[in-house]
Amino acid sequence: MRYLIIASLLLIISAGCKKDNFEKPASTLSGHVVYDKNALGLRSNGVQVELWQHGYALFSKIPVYVGQDGAFSAILFDGDYKLVLRQGNGPWLDNADSIDVKVSGATNVDITVKPYFIITNATFAKSGTQLTASVSVQQINNNLPLEAVSLYIGNTNIVDQVNSIKSVSVTPDISQNVNIQMTLPADAAYFARIGVKTAGVAEQVYSQVQEVK
Amino acid sequence: MKDWLDREPRTILSDQQVWNDPKQIVALLANFYDRLPAESGLVDVNDNNADGRLFQWRDMANFDDAMWSGQSNEDGRNNITSYNYNSWYLWNYTFIRDLNLALENIATYGVNLTDDQKKQYSAELRFLRAFNYFELVKRMGGVPLITSQLIYDYSGNVANLQQPRAKESEVYDFIGSEVDAIKNDLGNDGSVSRANKYTALALKSRAMLYAASIAKYNSLMAAPISTPGGEVGIPASMANNYYQQSLAASQEIINSGAYTLYRNNPDDGENFFEAVTKKASNKEVIFVKDYLLPTRKHVFSYDNIARGIREDNLGSSSVTPSLNLVESYEYLDGSSGALKIRTADNSDFIYYDHVQDIFANKDARLYGTIIYPGTTFKGLQLSIQAGVMVWNDTRNAYDVVEGSDLGTTYADGKLLTGTSGPHRSIQEVSNTGFYLKKFIDPNDKTSTRGVQSDVWWVWFRLGEIYLNATEAAFELGQTGPALNYINTLRERAGFPANSVTVLTNERIRNERRVELAFEDHRLWDLKRWRIADKVWNGSSSSADAMIYALYPYRVIRSGNAHDGKYVFVKMVAPRFRAPRFFQLGNYYTAIDQSVLNNNPKIIKNPFH
Repeated sequence: MRYLIIASLLLIISAGCKKDNFEKPASTLSGHVVYDKNALGLRSNGVQVELWQHGYALFSKIPVYVGQDGAFSAILFDGDYKLVLRQGNGPWLDNADSIDVKVSGATNVDITVKPYFIITNATFAKSGTQLTASVSVQQINNNLPLEAVSLYIGNTNIVDQVNSIKSVSVTPDISQNVNIQMTLPADAAYFARIGVKTAGVAEQVYSQVQEVK
Repeated sequence: MKDWLDREPRTILSDQQVWNDPKQIVALLANFYDRLPAESGLVDVNDNNADGRLFQWRDMANFDDAMWSGQSNEDGRNNITSYNYNSWYLWNYTFIRDLNLALENIATYGVNLTDDQKKQYSAELRFLRAFNYFELVKRMGGVPLITSQLIYDYSGNVANLQQPRAKESEVYDFIGSEVDAIKNDLGNDGSVSRANKYTALALKSRAMLYAASIAKYNSLMAAPISTPGGEVGIPASMANNYYQQSLAASQEIINSGAYTLYRNNPDDGENFFEAVTKKASNKEVIFVKDYLLPTRKHVFSYDNIARGIREDNLGSSSVTPSLNLVESYEYLDGSSGALKIRTADNSDFIYYDHVQDIFANKDARLYGTIIYPGTTFKGLQLSIQAGVMVWNDTRNAYDVVEGSDLGTTYADGKLLTGTSGPHRSIQEVSNTGFYLKKFIDPNDKTSTRGVQSDVWWVWFRLGEIYLNATEAAFELGQTGPALNYINTLRERAGFPANSVTVLTNERIRNERRVELAFEDHRLWDLKRWRIADKVWNGSSSSADAMIYALYPYRVIRSGNAHDGKYVFVKMVAPRFRAPRFFQLGNYYTAIDQSVLNNNPKIIKNPFH
């Protein structure tokens, strides 16, 4: 009798397991935020895109953060999603149109945006304790003015307005190359990056991170 | 015999019974007053949704005036990498509904009340509603203006219940016009816990100032924050009118003579502490949330008293003021408040004979707001010292020695680390070197969990009204009156007469910071001036976004003139992790998705 009870309990438990446990999501949605086929440099943890899925009782966004190289990815169930850009979040023109995404296995979707500014060329040169950044900034549309161009340095290869040990900001004339100088603190190696701030937009557009030796 | 079965219920009060009995109406009003929300406050209530009983003192540690030094499980307050877009959320329409219902019921059922009673109770309910709409609009921007019950008619169509957001300016206009309509009906003369005429005017003074500065400074932003429908953003053209309304309300309070700045204690520092905390013969406070021992009480003192003088075996030291705030208090000669820690060429410390000497000749409000090294509280001397600096001849420099525990003695038999710290890592001891004094109960045993404290929370006091008047008059170009108001307030803080001769925005803003610290103003002030994203810019090299500490050390250097003196080290507070980061999307709190789902007419705030 006792064995019967134990056996039936085991049966219930194992059956319960089957019923309660779902397969975890396995499909990957990935992509880049691009302009003119080039990924934009951003602040990690700064820009967020939203995934929405209709047809279920719970209607709430799945936030997806874009990395500093402009790449994003999310592991999802297969299905139809809408990819939405947050208004006023990234350094580009608002676009309220959502992108229909059909996730099935590994899916790749690039989000094309119209940035206010882009950085076409950024070089960093170190001489002694002096770091000189030279950058050309191009205005893509005239909706909002330029607020500042900043040089950031950090000790790790994640560098932006928040993750930096020192920064210098200038409000330059961008019709020609912009030069920014900074005296480096005494550490061995740095990672440097340029950020361009559009007035009225929280997030900046950045150059790629470069190590300065 | 038929009536015999019709019994009055013994456990339920009918509307007729409630709305004709002043005692029961007052009991209901007590409930409504208790539900007015505040971002900080003195107790620990977090319901920011329907009921809206929001009153969370720990939030004092979330900005730049203070950090968290209490139990380490709240250390997240020192590590806010960026304020969430839903920070400071409030959507308490259940409260609004209860107020609207009460207003309608009093009109319908209150047949036995006199006209005066009806008028007064209705005016109080409308004051509470206006107050709550102010709490909503300063967080969310324009919200649906609901002034009557919304009743579902079971038709299957809820469109008439789905109200869109009003313009931001319309909500402020509503507050202003409600105050004008009710201020003469409120009664309650002399009461500080129920609204009277001047309470309503104080609300108007503050609300109109907020509206005016949003109108002015939002428009001055490089890219103003607004929505096409005006739910967010007020046109610059409306600023002047709002400033005038605010100034008129402030002047009516000041000129009435009903309130006076508290000056009962000849010691300026103690006087300022009493101006906020003391209840007896206090003619400065206008509106408070009162507590009364032994039943209506809170544990704010238990949680925030200085460690070395705590009377309980646990608690203390949770919200500790930052050096940033301490340095905002000017010297009495009008010079900048930055403490003199190092020599001008930064080659050596400045040595002080006594640990409190570095704070000599400071604005007396520093003493009234903050406990700093070398002061007393409750008549007890505080022992605040981080460690000792021992001169090392071979290195030709000081070795820093700090105790691994509090109240420790160095090898020379004298104090190493004080009983009140500061300490870099121990919880429930100040991490900044300072302790909170404002709102801490000075009475015996009030920092124990057994007795607790009945210090009141101050919503409005005359000091703020003076500052509101200063700011509004200055913005309107009336420099003479503006100087008069600010200088009167500064005289109370120990400054000589006419200590300010040139007014600037920075001067007025700093004055608000030091006078109104910990009274739930800093966040809203920075928001309405549209500088929060500049001050709290998320940069770890920023002087404002980081929280700084000041650690005092005793010098051990035998045979030298500096032996036994005190030096100070300024540093980023060791338990502080992430710079304060306020983004453009924080100017208006994100509306909850469930609200948006239920009412498609509600639009999102910008950046969300």
